[in-house]
Amino acid sequence: MRPSLRLLNLEVPSLQGSRALYVCSGCRQEARPRPIAARQFLRHASNADSLSERVRRKIWGTDNPPGEKDPYGGQGVLERKFSKQQPPKQEEVAEQPEEVEDLTLTDASYEPATTWAGLERVGHLNRWNDYPRSEADTYESFAVKTKHNQKGPLSLAAHQAAVEICLMHALNKPLVSVCDVTEHEKPIFDMIYECKIQPNGEWSKALEYPNKRTQDTLAYIFEQIGAQPAAPAAEETAEDLVEASELEENGEIADEPASDSQDAPFFGYQDVQDEGFLSLPLTDAVTKFAYLKRFSQLSGHYFPDPIMQQISTVKQAVAYAQGELNKKPKKLAEYLAEDQRLLSLPNVKIFDKRRTTLHRDDEMGRKKIIEAALRARGLL
Amino acid sequence: MKRLQLQRWSGSVLSAQARTGGRLQQRLYTAIRHQSTASPAAPAGHDQLIREQPQAPSIRPSRPSQSRYNLPSPPVEAARESAKLASLHARLYLPSRLPLETLARSLVDASADPDPNFNNESLATLGHDLLTQYTSEYLVCTYPRLPLTVVFAAMYAYVGPKTLAAMAKEWGVESVAAPGGEVDPGYLQFRRLPPGAEVNPELITGTERPHEEETHWRKSVTSRVVYDNEYGDPVKAGVPPSELPEREAKNNNLGVSHEQASSTFVHALMGAVYLHAGRPAAKRFFEQHFLSRHLNISDLFNFSSPARDLARLCARENFDAPVARIISETGRKSRSPVFVVGIYSGADKLGEGAGASLLEARFRACVASLKGWYLYSPLNVRVPSSMEEEGAAPWKPVHVDLGEVII
Repeated sequence: MRPSLRLLNLEVPSLQGSRALYVCSGCRQEARPRPIAARQFLRHASNADSLSERVRRKIWGTDNPPGEKDPYGGQGVLERKFSKQQPPKQEEVAEQPEEVEDLTLTDASYEPATTWAGLERVGHLNRWNDYPRSEADTYESFAVKTKHNQKGPLSLAAHQAAVEICLMHALNKPLVSVCDVTEHEKPIFDMIYECKIQPNGEWSKALEYPNKRTQDTLAYIFEQIGAQPAAPAAEETAEDLVEASELEENGEIADEPASDSQDAPFFGYQDVQDEGFLSLPLTDAVTKFAYLKRFSQLSGHYFPDPIMQQISTVKQAVAYAQGELNKKPKKLAEYLAEDQRLLSLPNVKIFDKRRTTLHRDDEMGRKKIIEAALRARGLL
Repeated sequence: MKRLQLQRWSGSVLSAQARTGGRLQQRLYTAIRHQSTASPAAPAGHDQLIREQPQAPSIRPSRPSQSRYNLPSPPVEAARESAKLASLHARLYLPSRLPLETLARSLVDASADPDPNFNNESLATLGHDLLTQYTSEYLVCTYPRLPLTVVFAAMYAYVGPKTLAAMAKEWGVESVAAPGGEVDPGYLQFRRLPPGAEVNPELITGTERPHEEETHWRKSVTSRVVYDNEYGDPVKAGVPPSELPEREAKNNNLGVSHEQASSTFVHALMGAVYLHAGRPAAKRFFEQHFLSRHLNISDLFNFSSPARDLARLCARENFDAPVARIISETGRKSRSPVFVVGIYSGADKLGEGAGASLLEARFRACVASLKGWYLYSPLNVRVPSSMEEEGAAPWKPVHVDLGEVII
């Protein structure tokens, strides 16, 4: 006898079976059919005369106890079937047509959308990303967009920063305010380019102007830069002034670059005229900070703190930007590829990339077989 | 004269531009034996039988590496870039006059590249003939009384395909998975047999031997010299050159076994050394790599009735009939007796042997006597090819015995 059948046949006393057919009393109790009184609870609650309904009436003390008519999921299948055959109630029949009319009225202009385009946007528009882009949202880099790595542009940036810091020293203005103007106009840059720096060890007296007019103009401009609110207006006036002077002494500028190089960094200038700025000291902390900030802004190079600690002259700052202070470590393959003794050996081959299984498969002729098999299976 | 020979041979290996004429297309003729013995110089009348080959460009135009996949074997210029090839050259201590390009070519089997200008078939033909010649003259001159079956076995042991494949493996020659233009030229390139193909067919048909279908007929050892190959194994008959294209087309679809490709490579390397570095270098290469392998020839004998053989031998050589005498014995009645038996021909003792019974001791003594006769080796052996050297001493004919007794 199979165990399932044994469990079903509970009326038979278990004593007559062997010990292997033993069923414990708990299991026997579980599997036994429930008494009829207990089965009443399983009946549907919507039954008007159900036990739960009678209990509810008894609890509330009325014939119409409060609460939903049917809290347990509606009618059963048979009830639904019977209720469909019976004629619907009058009230519901009266209500239905009105709703249908309303629906047809609204449906007349309804066109189902196929795409989202043109649909009315639902939801509140007060979020940040619903607003159009404001001025505060646009990112402008502190430094120039292109990072300079060549010697010429770096020297130009270092020279410009040195001239500006010298000017601010001479004018006795806050040094870091030179960073307010990232790039000067071309006439102003031309004048800065013309200036020379005498390495006498002092920032305030190091600057050497080509002529008096340049000195006055630059002093005027950088006076304006120090005064924050009036800066834009001052720039304009300075430009006008400079342009006027530029027109007068047009022939004086020796190596004016071509006019099509307006977009080029430093207006197309290739290298500095003199290199006196390289020996300027960076011992004063304020000057050093201001200079490195301006140089970092013009060159696009970031100076980490340990490097900033090491730097004591302008020359070192330029050297760091050129990558001389901490050079990128050379790869071993590059060293080996330069070794003439190894290159002369015919049984040694030097590769700049690691040789993988794919290379080995290729040189053993296995790769084309693998590829053909992958292609045949549509995997490649 | 030596130079002239080199020039003639090298034409088939070097580019067609340096070739003087199409005569050395005979390679196709001699690669598969047409006659019962491989004749190195085919008659001049056979020249017109050789099919006219379209003159392929000798050096393939250099193409970018992308199209190397289209080539059947690596291009010539790839040989200089391969570190494996240079390593193999140095490891084998090959002469510097043997260029890497030829070494690379000797690694290309005919199943990988059917173009005879780029595969090692011609080199292998030359190397095979050189190897068998050097080995056979060494064996015959060193052991002039060896039975022919032992000579066959020794030849197989020295330059047989199994030995050559083992040598190629010891040299560190690896093989490609599939041949192609992109593979490293330092690999042995051949098309492999399809899985499940039969490597060693039991019965070779289509030989030169008459009545080969009569398998139960006795095959004499002498007939094996005539009809079979240098190892005494049956070999397929050569085909006339007019039928070569169909046969090659049929063979191209099949691959070759690794053993066969390796032995072809060793043959080709021998031929390449001979061509580029000359005969002395080839002989040195042969001595260093082939003769230096130790082979105990006395293990190759297999006697069924040594007493009868010895009696016939003594009769043939007009010795007194051999007599077995007990030299000493111990423990005749014990569990492990030892008898020492000597074979005497008149007053001369031919050999002696020890055994646990009188018969066994006599058997061993007969075997020792026969081996003592057959393994005779003269002092100061000179082989005939030593006469090819300039300034060689006058040739004194070597002693070659009648061989084994035939019963």
